[in-house]
Amino acid sequence: PPPLTTTQVRHATFVPRPRRPYTFTQLVQLSDGSTFTVRTTMPTALLRSSRDSRNHVLWQPSDRSLRNVEADEAGKLAAFRGRFGRGWDMDAGAGGGDGAAAAAAAAEGEGGGEVKKTDEAVAAADADPFDSLTDLISSQYKGGQLGGLTAKEEQQKEAHKKKK
Amino acid sequence: MSAASRGGNGAVSALLRNSRRVCSHCARPPTSSLARPYSEAATTPKTTPTPPEDIPSTRYRIKAGLILSRPPLLTRAPTPFESAFYLYQKRLNERLAAPFRAPLYFPTDTARALDWRLKQRERHGVAAKDIGRYNPRGRVAWNDEVLVGSATSTPEYVVERLLADAEVRVSEDGEEISAEERVPVERPVGRRSRADEEGDVRRLDRRMEETVYLVVRKGEEGEWGFPAGDVTTSEALHETAKRTLAESAGVNMNAWIVGRVPIAHHVAEFEDAPETGPAPAAKAADAGDESRFDGEKIFFLKGRIMAGQVDLTGNKYGYTDFKWVNKDELRQTLPYEYWRSVRNMVELR
Repeated sequence: PPPLTTTQVRHATFVPRPRRPYTFTQLVQLSDGSTFTVRTTMPTALLRSSRDSRNHVLWQPSDRSLRNVEADEAGKLAAFRGRFGRGWDMDAGAGGGDGAAAAAAAAEGEGGGEVKKTDEAVAAADADPFDSLTDLISSQYKGGQLGGLTAKEEQQKEAHKKKK
Repeated sequence: MSAASRGGNGAVSALLRNSRRVCSHCARPPTSSLARPYSEAATTPKTTPTPPEDIPSTRYRIKAGLILSRPPLLTRAPTPFESAFYLYQKRLNERLAAPFRAPLYFPTDTARALDWRLKQRERHGVAAKDIGRYNPRGRVAWNDEVLVGSATSTPEYVVERLLADAEVRVSEDGEEISAEERVPVERPVGRRSRADEEGDVRRLDRRMEETVYLVVRKGEEGEWGFPAGDVTTSEALHETAKRTLAESAGVNMNAWIVGRVPIAHHVAEFEDAPETGPAPAAKAADAGDESRFDGEKIFFLKGRIMAGQVDLTGNKYGYTDFKWVNKDELRQTLPYEYWRSVRNMVELR
């Protein structure tokens, strides 16, 4: 094999460059309307953000309107309340922005009176949450006491229906 | 050294206390006649000098002030050189980066793919939206520079092109939307707010690119300055500053005082009132303590305002007017010596 040579090469040689993806400039608009440009591989020209630090309570501690809002996407929390009642709610404000109380009242068919009653019931339940919880864990709990049946009772009900 | 050990008489007891190895003769301080034989005062009896009674002691009122600032809300606009540099880099990227693969983002034979192809055709085949017309391959690949005075590099052009590209040009059926039916994209709010256009110096959304500071004054003839109040004996400086802010500018502000250490101080000497004429009104308004104080020392703390606005109604300090000013306006508004005291602690932008 020829010995190692250290002569210079004067013509252009191939220099391997990194394979970088194509990047665009994008305008990002946050939930409060402010905009900034970023470099990205996405071809979308304008990206509108609906949930970011500008409308999140963690980053806007002095904004009261963000505190009471409960994000109930897909209605899972409303379904939970329908089954297990409001005894498990963390505080009185939860579900206020949800409109669940109004929706439930409308479903029942009454007017403003019912809405007030449900609100009072909610207030009463939340006023002493310990009582509602003890009711649930005690053996004397009957289904329908705070809204819905437990899972076990639901199963029994279905089994009963099937028997019929 | 404790107070008892200071002085010649105390030295003896101190020496004896500290080391038992010194004999009592050595521990005694040397007598003046033997220690300083060359001194002419050694022979004459020394008398302790009486403290002179006619040296006046200066008394300063201590005040704590607050340099309340609102940090900039927007990043600085790029300089023309920066804009030109960014355009150059984007065009260089056209040559060096791998070409854009549209089928990866726009599945073939979809409305979105048609929309992309239509827009790309309008850009003469360029995938990027903000670099103008440049083809990195071919005969004219060398022509990557724009002419002098072209607007291609300006940030306004970039934003305008991006917003134009954000319009939907092909409907979901795959039909091209005509010019009348196109839904225009809502333009974002500009960098200059209404407060800048109208010149309203009291609003907090003016000069969004720069830091603005709160200055107040008493009456039309008063001098502009930062809010300041007297420090009581039971309070620390930062507590006084907080109290002063609440008392003078109201409680409708979400303000944060940065630490307990002042960032600047200003020493103001009161002018002596001429004996024949009346004392100047501005200085004599200091609650009649003119006779006791020769001046005041104001220690400024740094504060930030996050939300709210100043409300001077019913404030105890007699402030009648306030404004939010940036660094250049602050230099012109404050009195000369006052500005010299605080100039090094205002932000660069």
